[in-house]
Amino acid sequence: MVNQLRLSKGNILVIAILILLGAGIYFYKEFNRKAADVSNVEPAASLTAIVLVDSYESNEASANKLYLGKTIQVTGAIAEINNQQDTLVNVFIGDDNSMHKVSCLLDNYYLASVRNFSVGQQITIRGVCTGYLMDVEMNRCVIIEKK
Amino acid sequence: MRIVFALLMLTMVSATGLAQTRYFTKTGKIIFYSKSPMENIEAVNNKVVSIWDITSGQIEFSVLMKGFEFQKALMQEHFNENYVESDKYPKAVFKGIIENSSALDLTADRSATVKVNGNLTIHGETRPVNTTAVITVKNKVISAATSFIISLADYKISIPSLVADKISKKITITVNISDYKLVVKK
Repeated sequence: MVNQLRLSKGNILVIAILILLGAGIYFYKEFNRKAADVSNVEPAASLTAIVLVDSYESNEASANKLYLGKTIQVTGAIAEINNQQDTLVNVFIGDDNSMHKVSCLLDNYYLASVRNFSVGQQITIRGVCTGYLMDVEMNRCVIIEKK
Repeated sequence: MRIVFALLMLTMVSATGLAQTRYFTKTGKIIFYSKSPMENIEAVNNKVVSIWDITSGQIEFSVLMKGFEFQKALMQEHFNENYVESDKYPKAVFKGIIENSSALDLTADRSATVKVNGNLTIHGETRPVNTTAVITVKNKVISAATSFIISLADYKISIPSLVADKISKKITITVNISDYKLVVKK
């Protein structure tokens, strides 16, 4: 008991240093945290590209409430692949007859796999919905399934 | 962006009657850069939609605020949640006029500096922006680039006092359109 008490001052100091160090490491990690890989994120919604585009076309504000900033998973046919020197690859999925599609900017990791893609193929892509311009836009996309 | 879409539709519908030449892109790039003694902050958006009517000189840009990607996730979250409030104001839009646009000859390789005047809306606030841009034609590819500085206070973007000295109150915005495509008249 006496022994423990005698050590307590030193203990407190050690504990305080450990806490500070822990907090320091936590804040450092938090500060330098990269955006999460969405393949490990459970999607807030899974739907077809046509349904997604329809919901944005009919009411953008209410679609934003459902999808804006959320990780979602979208299935559809590849309508166009826009590859800018293999650094930025945008895959458009959805109804060929519609002016509006789902525009998926692929995460760097998936850039190489895009060479095997072809127009018309069914694909399932997960990404973060950033809103609606000409198309429904998704960023940081990963390929979930390709048929 | 409904306005852009409406413009595009208008182009297609009215193309037969009016001699208008319009260029369009979905893959423009906007970078913003904030320099401060503590830390430099940079964010990139690669999905800028722009339409440019060469005949009238009207030019528009729209961009989704949530589409800006930062090096650090925490910065991106603060940017969206605290600064630009992207749930409430998901888009930024620029609408302006390129001076003497119709006089530009885009058929041969060349580079021209043009004056651009217009209004920029960010965070629900609209302010005038007057700048110059460089239009380049190379191997039939038309590109455009500009850069200007905005003040955060103008757009009512407030920085918490705790980090106020870490974040510059002036932000450099760089716009790069690498490939304007002629709108096909149907």
